[in-house]
Amino acid sequence: MAECDAEWELCKENIQPLRQGRTISALHQALCQQQEGNHTALNQQKQAFESELRMYDGDDPLDVWVRYIKWTKQTFPQGGKESNLSVLLERAVMLFTADKRYHNDVRYVELWIEFTEGCSDPMDVFRYMQAQGIGTMQAALYIAWSEEHEKRGNLKMADRVFQDGVKCGAEPVDKLHAFHRALQARVCRQMMSSVTDPQRDEDDDEEEPQRSSLAELKAKGKKKAVVPINRANASAGYARGLQFKQPLGPKHNTRPVIFDENKVPETVPQEPKFEIWTAPPAARAKENEQKPEKWSNVKLPMKSRSGLSVAVPPPKPSFQPFVEEDDQPPAVTPCKINPAVNSVLSARKPCRLEQTPLKMLQERQLLMQTQTQEDGKSREQSMYCRDLVYSGATEFCFEELRAERYRQKHARPADHSTN
Amino acid sequence: MSKTLKGITLKGSAELVAEFFSFGINSILYQRGIYPAETFTRVTQYDMSLHLTTDSKLKNYLTNVITQLKEWLFDCTVQKLVVVITCLETNEVLERWQFDIECDKAAKESGAPREKSIKAIQEEIRSVIRQVTATVTFLPLLETACAFDLLIYTDKDLQVPEQWEESGPQLIDQSEEVRLRSFTTSIHKVNSMVAYKRTNSM
Repeated sequence: MAECDAEWELCKENIQPLRQGRTISALHQALCQQQEGNHTALNQQKQAFESELRMYDGDDPLDVWVRYIKWTKQTFPQGGKESNLSVLLERAVMLFTADKRYHNDVRYVELWIEFTEGCSDPMDVFRYMQAQGIGTMQAALYIAWSEEHEKRGNLKMADRVFQDGVKCGAEPVDKLHAFHRALQARVCRQMMSSVTDPQRDEDDDEEEPQRSSLAELKAKGKKKAVVPINRANASAGYARGLQFKQPLGPKHNTRPVIFDENKVPETVPQEPKFEIWTAPPAARAKENEQKPEKWSNVKLPMKSRSGLSVAVPPPKPSFQPFVEEDDQPPAVTPCKINPAVNSVLSARKPCRLEQTPLKMLQERQLLMQTQTQEDGKSREQSMYCRDLVYSGATEFCFEELRAERYRQKHARPADHSTN
Repeated sequence: MSKTLKGITLKGSAELVAEFFSFGINSILYQRGIYPAETFTRVTQYDMSLHLTTDSKLKNYLTNVITQLKEWLFDCTVQKLVVVITCLETNEVLERWQFDIECDKAAKESGAPREKSIKAIQEEIRSVIRQVTATVTFLPLLETACAFDLLIYTDKDLQVPEQWEESGPQLIDQSEEVRLRSFTTSIHKVNSMVAYKRTNSM
């Protein structure tokens, strides 16, 4: 016991704190299993969840997802790619976007909120949720949204979101009000401290994203030119010399778009208007949240693969990032990166947590749009149970499905043995 | 210096343990965000950086408690010290830090110093406080404003001093309990434990 006790302490840096805490027994088990390298039990449980996802025929399919995700969070304390959590969340969230009965289900809304945490810009997701009517009756949405505004120092919007929530009659009201009271208290305290300590205000200003942070990373190793996009808050105040301030090269394999002076650049208002979002904006839209600033060094995100075939107009009025002509890097690495390195970079992209989920969602929505537009004229049709094979977080093969059905048939008199 | 070589007396032990509680409670209050982080200042103790409150009322309160505790430690009449963290609005107990104190009453009678260097004791204390800090890895986030309360369990026959009052144990129903490290001065032994509310929701 004493040995296991120390286990969590030894691994404390590798345990992601959860909002709702962890059960210590699950933590012990997970850590001990990892140390022993005993993955069979884990895999079995995972497999059980996966097959349950596919075989479930009750009237609450979300339940399986919720349990699966909860299990994943407790079982993979360090999170990360291995846990597959981001994929799970993304799948779960996307699966039920069209399912009206879940739109104001607390569990579903909480999944969404958790999903936003992995996105580079939660704001867009929140707006998307609002447009779709997901969670508009849930206090949790407004609280998370408001918190996000608060985090960015936009207290007015934080308050506005709260008012919206009250207006919509989000439940539970008292939780919303309690949050608002806490928010007010925080704002008061902040104001008090900023009066007594004006130095702090300046510090806050410096937390604005600074692109130079990208360069700082790059300077350390040329081979590892992959830089996560929202580095901003990770390293505020790392302004480096100008020579580092060039784009990081073909991260997205697109040609830089030259700025057209005659076009008026679309300045984005600080307070977002609530338009109807047909699809959530691309992950890069993050920039729009911030004050207008320099647009050099910005590149268009790579066209999605599915979007290539059809010329679908982007769901949001897109703008062209401004790249100054003379801002081209003189003769430094980015231009010289050879295609081999390029492909390595692009191959790693899907692992990037903050970018893929939203993009995938958007892709899907785009696809659905084209479907309605073309009405299945030239669409692929799969002649196998595609949705069953791919519906979980991992792929199933036909044999697994068949085995599952076989097992189910034989275990019918007895209840589900898997769970 | 010569004192450390000789070992530890009851009085010294009581002082060490009381000091531990002073730093320990401050650490908990800081770590769990019971009081705003701005109201804490850093000090170096036990070879690590710890947070001490600068809030005068809180400081006063803690000094009072610790002084009283020291007395009881010296008398070997204290059994437990509990830091209870409750939700300010609903008064629901959310977290409970329990420190069981075992006093070696023989030391009171004999009065002879024990063989254990301060260094060794402080080393143990350090690891306890480290672990207290590390508990954030599994403790749930305290989402509401919280208050704290200190409970001290003493021997039954003890007179309750002024400014103190009797209280219930303030247990958490459906709690998850985690035993933390313990330390001993060879006269007082302190076992620590944290209990927190088990949440079934996501």
